[in-house]
Amino acid sequence: MYNFVGRSFPRHDGFAKASGLAEFTFDIEVPGMLYGRILKSPYAFARVGRIDTSSAEALGAVALTPDDVPDKLFNPRLLSVEEDTYKDWRVLAKVPRYVGEPIAAVAAPTEDTAQRALEALRVEFEEIYDPILDPFKATSPTARPIHERILRGGRWVEVRNNIAAELRYSEGYLETEEERSSVVVERKFHVPRRYHTQLEPKGAVCKLEPDGTLVVWTTTQTIHNTKILISQVYGIPMNRIDVRKVPLGGGFGSSIHTNLVTLIAVGLCLKSRKPVKLVLTREEDMVHDHVSFEFYMRVRAGATKDGSITFGELENVIDVGAHQVQAYPILGTSLGWFISLYKWRAVRYYGRSVYTNKVPSCAIRGYGAPEITWAVETVVDELAEELKIDPLEFRLANYRGKGEIFWGQGPTVKSVIRSDGVPELMARGSELIGWKRRESPKVKTGRFRRGIGVGRGFHTSGAGGPLSGAIIDYTGAIVKVNEDGSVDYITALQDHGGGTLDAHAKIIAEELKIPPSRVRIVWSGTSTTVYDVCTHASRGVFAGGEAARRAALEVKKKVLEYASRILDAVSPEALRIEYDRELDDAAIFVEGAPDKRITLSEVARTAWQRNWGSISASVSYRATVAPPSFTVYFVEVEVDTETGVVRPIKVVAGADVGTVISPELAAGQIHGGFAIGWSWAVGDEVSYLENGVPAHRMSLADYKLPTSMDLPSDDDFVVVFASTYEPYGPFGAKGLGEAASNPVIAAVANAIYNAIGVRLYEIPMTPERILRAIKGGD
Amino acid sequence: MEMRIRFRLNGVVTEVDIEPHETLLNVLRDKLKVKSVKYGCGIGECGSCTVLLDGDPVVSCLVMAAKVDGSEVATPDYIAQTELGKAIVDSMLEEGAVQCGYCIPGFLVTIYAALARGIRDVDEMRKAMVGNICRCTGYVNIVRAVKKTLKRIGSQTPRNAVERPFR
Repeated sequence: MYNFVGRSFPRHDGFAKASGLAEFTFDIEVPGMLYGRILKSPYAFARVGRIDTSSAEALGAVALTPDDVPDKLFNPRLLSVEEDTYKDWRVLAKVPRYVGEPIAAVAAPTEDTAQRALEALRVEFEEIYDPILDPFKATSPTARPIHERILRGGRWVEVRNNIAAELRYSEGYLETEEERSSVVVERKFHVPRRYHTQLEPKGAVCKLEPDGTLVVWTTTQTIHNTKILISQVYGIPMNRIDVRKVPLGGGFGSSIHTNLVTLIAVGLCLKSRKPVKLVLTREEDMVHDHVSFEFYMRVRAGATKDGSITFGELENVIDVGAHQVQAYPILGTSLGWFISLYKWRAVRYYGRSVYTNKVPSCAIRGYGAPEITWAVETVVDELAEELKIDPLEFRLANYRGKGEIFWGQGPTVKSVIRSDGVPELMARGSELIGWKRRESPKVKTGRFRRGIGVGRGFHTSGAGGPLSGAIIDYTGAIVKVNEDGSVDYITALQDHGGGTLDAHAKIIAEELKIPPSRVRIVWSGTSTTVYDVCTHASRGVFAGGEAARRAALEVKKKVLEYASRILDAVSPEALRIEYDRELDDAAIFVEGAPDKRITLSEVARTAWQRNWGSISASVSYRATVAPPSFTVYFVEVEVDTETGVVRPIKVVAGADVGTVISPELAAGQIHGGFAIGWSWAVGDEVSYLENGVPAHRMSLADYKLPTSMDLPSDDDFVVVFASTYEPYGPFGAKGLGEAASNPVIAAVANAIYNAIGVRLYEIPMTPERILRAIKGGD
Repeated sequence: MEMRIRFRLNGVVTEVDIEPHETLLNVLRDKLKVKSVKYGCGIGECGSCTVLLDGDPVVSCLVMAAKVDGSEVATPDYIAQTELGKAIVDSMLEEGAVQCGYCIPGFLVTIYAALARGIRDVDEMRKAMVGNICRCTGYVNIVRAVKKTLKRIGSQTPRNAVERPFR
């Protein structure tokens, strides 16, 4: 059906990346640059007095203190509209509110001098307060306010009881539905803070051009929002800031917001008037920069005797740490995921984000969906079990599918589901895993016990919608045909590694009927691209790909118009265009007239020679829907009942992503989505000592990341794609990145239960916790 | 207290002044500007900075630069150009083993070293890679790329890009 969509091509940046020649922020050097270092608060909650920079300056370093940067509150994430943006950050803090909060910074000609200058800074702390680490103690009326007032929509709002944001919602008659229910299950769940473990630590390099333009290279998922934030904080006009797009060594949500390191580097650059490179060590990145949200959830749900779900209730307390990145939006998306999972006839929701004196937390792959899905899929499994209904049938009867409303990213992002591969994925997946051989845990004996579990999830494709809601979501693309018929594709959209931009190149190639190798993906900056909000919400292929397709379509119209002049056709509509395999080019022709045939390259050359002008298009595109991509994962695990260690045996991962643009890269998203979900389920956890310092020495080895020996081998990992078509996506495609990880904790948890007959309501399900559960402890 | 070391870097005799406390990673990246060697953790835990030292894969952040005097060092950008390196890279691209790309040069070196040493068993290869952390791929397509490389090279032992130390 398609020439290029659905076929495999080596990714454009593959050789550069595999050979190490790809330049990441960490690799960028500018002649004459200074190296920056950040002075971080050793206390979780304190007030800084005098900062003596004289010894540092005597070493030849430039020092930056809170007095050197604009006293301006900001939020490092600019995805929400201004009214919903809560601002409580400063570039450098006079009142540090977590261990590691930047207080001052230095820059010097060598790293050694910078480090010595950092150590030469003298900071007096006027006051040191007891840190507040527990989100339930934080809301006590006697707790010290972590923030007294913050800005929301440009207005001061008072913070009460350390509550950063709240959201209540209800729908239907919950009491009536509860009365109708034959079974009701209520459970509490806990998800800890987790570290994203992107392989490239955060960093930034910046310099000033002779004309005063600030050029920035940084670890970001959004170059335009980084530009806007720098402009907001430092008051520089946006056309005097050029944030260049560079490959990103993994994001997983940790660079949706502009990392603080970027703003500090800019401050050092503006003060010194010299180029500055400021990169974090792994330890700094891990201990001081970012973690994911911590959730305390209570879910209550009911169903009737015949197996229809009645009501759902979710209480969701989130520990956001010392500052807001998405404290309010995460409450809305949590509700959105919850409500979109099943056809609840009544819903009650209470969400509360609470400040504590810990590292500010931010989105991690799935943006709350993996956690909510785990809680709901556990309760749903328990309801099915009590009703003695097969968990697959129970899900199929009650999930929100085709024709239902999907909430995308919360109450302001709603759309109707038009493509739904869940029944197909349930059928094919259960066959492949051998669902019928699944036995009750009661009959299992012996030291090693195996179990099979299912988890059904989804994620949105972007945050678009028919109405302009609380989230900004649009993108842009420039497509330009050169004078020889080669094509440049210019976009601000970032590729985290999933191959998003290669999918775009293929989409452009498909529209123009030229080989994808003819489309060059240009890496440029904010000065030369049109606005793209951010690569997040699994929108890269769905929204960005459609923008690219529309730009290609405009270019195609121009090509056909010029071709009709050359071929002497009555109008462009009289022409056909197709990929000519032999010429490896687009052929434009009049049907039935063999002499009336020309290639796209010839059209481009003629347009140049005859002064017809450039063939190019620049589009800005806002998606009017945000369709869900469904995922149904079946997992078989083996639990060692003597050590508590869980091992993956087999994974059957089904995904409904509409048309698959790049099969091997899409499968790669699913493998990686499973891997991160597996590590959330059994390993990832960041905890803190009483003084607010992380509990264990934070290093990658201590953090116990899965290695090639801990995850399923390729023989035991089956990927299934549903045969669906999304009418709003480019050539029928939907998103994937987050859908790939969203059902994993749920499927693994249900598999562990099926193995040992005991459920755990706390992740990670470590060997210690599993043993305790088996032995009947808490 | 500077000292001068002399070693062969990617086949070229290289002399550089170093401080005794400097690591090979720092000298390669900061002094010799070899940026294909990536910094991931600096304490030997992620494998992103893996290079070949006299044919063995080592994490360059744990090797003192002074120690490589008289040795042979090969980095990912060079290895990618060798016959075996090309076979690995081509397999990686065909199997979609490259995602964000930050850890992958380290994998290239590790896989190269294991294959050059004659390992032909997939499970042995998986074991050889435990020191390389990847957060994007779940290792599945990397293992597939290894399998494909094994098929490509068959039983032959490709010529090692790294010759004997020239001391």
